[in-house]
Amino acid sequence: MLTQIAVSLNSIANPIGQVLLAPIEWLPGWLSATLIGVVTGVLMLVVFKYTSNQSAIKRTRDQIKANMLALSLFKDDLGVSLRSQGRLLTGALRLILHALIPLAVLMIPMILILGQMSLWYQARPLRIGEESVVTVQLADESTDAVQAITLNTNDAVEVIAGPVRVSSKNMVCWKVMPIRDGQHQLEFKIGGETSLKEFVVGGAFEPTSQKRPAWDWNEVVMHPRETPFAPDSIVQSIEVTYPQRDALTAGTNNWVIYWFVISMVAAFVAKPFLNVNL
Amino acid sequence: MRDNQSEGIVSRRKLLTGAACAAVAAGVGATSYFVGGPNRVSRSLGKKVIVIGIDGMDPRLSAAMMKAGDLPNLAKMTASGGFSKLGTSIPPQSPVAWSNFINGSGPGSHGIFDFIHRHPHEHCKPYFAAAETLTPEGFVEWGDHQLQLDFWPFNHKPAKTVLRRQGVPFWDYLDAQKIDSVFYDLPSNYPPSPSQYGHHRCVSGMGTPDMLGTYGTYQYFSEDTPAAGVREGGGIRSKLRFENDSARATLIGPPDSFRKSPTPIEIEFEVHRDRQSDAVLLEIQDQKIMLQRGQWSRWTKLDFAISTPKLIPNQHASGICRFFLQEIAPNFRLYVTPINVNPSDPAVQLSEPDDFIENVSEELGLFYTTGFQEDHKARTNGVFNDDEFRRQATNVLEERLALFEYAVENYEDGLLFFYFSSSDLQSHIFWWDESDGNTQHPLISSPEAASRFQYVRDLYQRLDSIIGDINDRYSGKATIIVMSDHGFANFGRQFNLNSWLRDSGYLNPRECTNVLVNGDWSRTRAYGLGINGLYLNLKGREADGVVEPGEEQEQLLRRLKMQLESVRDVNGNQVIRNVYRSSEIYAGDATALAPDLIIGYARGYRASWETCLGELSEDTLRDNTSAWAADHCADALEVPGVLFCNKSIDKTDPSLVDVAPSILQEFGLPTPSTMTGQSIYKS
Ligand SMILES: [Zn+2]
Repeated sequence: MLTQIAVSLNSIANPIGQVLLAPIEWLPGWLSATLIGVVTGVLMLVVFKYTSNQSAIKRTRDQIKANMLALSLFKDDLGVSLRSQGRLLTGALRLILHALIPLAVLMIPMILILGQMSLWYQARPLRIGEESVVTVQLADESTDAVQAITLNTNDAVEVIAGPVRVSSKNMVCWKVMPIRDGQHQLEFKIGGETSLKEFVVGGAFEPTSQKRPAWDWNEVVMHPRETPFAPDSIVQSIEVTYPQRDALTAGTNNWVIYWFVISMVAAFVAKPFLNVNL
Repeated sequence: MRDNQSEGIVSRRKLLTGAACAAVAAGVGATSYFVGGPNRVSRSLGKKVIVIGIDGMDPRLSAAMMKAGDLPNLAKMTASGGFSKLGTSIPPQSPVAWSNFINGSGPGSHGIFDFIHRHPHEHCKPYFAAAETLTPEGFVEWGDHQLQLDFWPFNHKPAKTVLRRQGVPFWDYLDAQKIDSVFYDLPSNYPPSPSQYGHHRCVSGMGTPDMLGTYGTYQYFSEDTPAAGVREGGGIRSKLRFENDSARATLIGPPDSFRKSPTPIEIEFEVHRDRQSDAVLLEIQDQKIMLQRGQWSRWTKLDFAISTPKLIPNQHASGICRFFLQEIAPNFRLYVTPINVNPSDPAVQLSEPDDFIENVSEELGLFYTTGFQEDHKARTNGVFNDDEFRRQATNVLEERLALFEYAVENYEDGLLFFYFSSSDLQSHIFWWDESDGNTQHPLISSPEAASRFQYVRDLYQRLDSIIGDINDRYSGKATIIVMSDHGFANFGRQFNLNSWLRDSGYLNPRECTNVLVNGDWSRTRAYGLGINGLYLNLKGREADGVVEPGEEQEQLLRRLKMQLESVRDVNGNQVIRNVYRSSEIYAGDATALAPDLIIGYARGYRASWETCLGELSEDTLRDNTSAWAADHCADALEVPGVLFCNKSIDKTDPSLVDVAPSILQEFGLPTPSTMTGQSIYKS
């Protein structure tokens, strides 16, 4: 059920992402990462404004201010002081409660946006001649499949080692080397069935899906681009190791941190202009 | 060389450091715009001096090959400039020799007399001479951990490695004059000495440890290793047990240093083999590495999590290694290089300034950072055969050549020093010169020995072509010096100095197997330690000294010298050519740890493997049956190095200590009073 939802959401997010994030291909990494951070930060703020109870938040904030004032004015009066401190705490709690609805509304789009961004920033495409290990994970009950599965070569990729068949893990790996630029498909055959996996070569920035996922919502969220394998498929998932992208802003793993920082900064800068209470 | 193994380790520290650096840099930039930035402009004034250090390059072989037309570029250099033997250090061991080069003065100035020194007060406990790790002082306990807090009010002293080389390195004089100097893989400079004025940069070479704190510890996994594993000098062997063609293995990492009783940090990995396709898959820290038989992996990053007390986030240290799949079946064999410090994220300082090596790595990717890169231990322990060793040594050379290219591309002016280790470590294994006393290799036939010696010649030719490139590139624009620290000689027979001392009645008891373990100090007057050192058990200096300083000491030294120089091999050959009195050959402030006598072996001979660490054997003289078949720890007069220059060499009998004054003279600086050498050029 969760997986089905994730798959449906991805089917909406993928075409939108493809259009909206297309400029990443020709912008410098730091610029596209910054732009996305700014735009999503401001959008989050706008969503927050219209999904939260702004007047209630403003009221709570005013009360907090009043209690802080009381605290500093009546430092010596233990009773007032304690009461103000209690109110401060409940005020803070209420602020958090007010943020819950907008957070809930924002959560799913945020996950989808991050999923789409990861396709661009988490890894970089292979270059011609650069080796990669491809791993096919097979279903637990299919012990013969480990021996039976084959990888068909084409004019874009060459198998240079393997397969190494790991029967204890129902896993088969090949070492491959790309020989032609482009968005290719690797073709695996088992018992008359063909399974495909995207294989991206060349280009500084291109959507690069590391894994065609299994029927598992978690994996589907992490790897949104390719259709997951059906739960009863012999082939459960196929993974290609792509190189890390070394960059502080738009590089492997770093991009998430950068996005978070930039979107927060953008939201705080935009806050007074959009007249939003946080 | 660039490493592309995908890996899932986030370096948040890097990101934060990067952000902080950017902010600071922006601030400094803005400030210096107004107040005038630090004056880092070089005063080299376009003057260029390039020194290429080729460890162990031999003048006899070079001359013979030049004569045969095999080293055209060096021959050209000789014709237009000069070629000479270069007097080496006493003893001619690399750490001593390169320190002579660095100080422009002898061992009395830098205090390095051998690979190995001893603590005279601590029953002669041996240690590596070039650097020493000091034990920490003081700590606070915290659960299973102990922490050294080096700030007030604790002022604990954490463990620290210090460079033992003393005196003033010649680049300090350049640095003070704002003349740039850059050194790639300089021996005897770990930890790298600091640059006071910021005009000196250096990547440490020989003497730099691996992640285990050793000079290089390979790890070897095979099915035929005994179940308990084997620890041998330079390596660790472990047994692999395959079940269904999958096995689990453990890589030993650096010690978990915050623990009260530090144990090594281990990394588990899985090995899966497929005999049908002749390939193996390694799974280590979320990385998949596939190798075919006979294949090397690229450098692989390893993350070692050093455990810390609760509430303190774990520390991380990054290491790198390469895997070499030697055999798949029936006896699976996998070699793993020593775990090197990662040059892109060094856990210890490898360069001066410390980000220098990171900048190099940004361009070149990952590479060997330990001091000894050619794994001679794997060869002598039988983990490698000759071909495998040569293959690994070639990997090293390829990396060095890429680094050399980087060095030249990033060089503007001032001094450029670049070091090649290949000629030394390949010669130790492949050198056998039958024309040198017409001797028979103790292990292999003459044709075999000759074909291996050809590898050394091939290497000389390769280096010659590199020198040709540099000469073409800088002809008329730079002074170019090609030099080596010593030459080479066959090492067919080994001499156990301690056994000889025992047989001559100087070392007791008779059944002693190691002077440091079961020697009787009250009845021992002299002992050997290190490759060329002989020490008296001197009263007042050694913990249980018995030899009275003064007359007794003097007589004993004279007698030992005379007796040692008259030692003869079974065929009547002289074994020891010269015995030097250190009081006669060393002068300076750093002589305290010098041996009393330095043994200068005749060509063909060297100290035995056992005697270097105080061990005794039954025989005094025997064949050297190690794969390490050639050496240079002989008499200095037997193994001079080479000196080539594209300018004429005016000094007769130039020696290692003369190179630094010559370099200084090229930059218009006088020879400082700390140096005993003299310029090789007319002033
Ligand atoms: Zn050597």
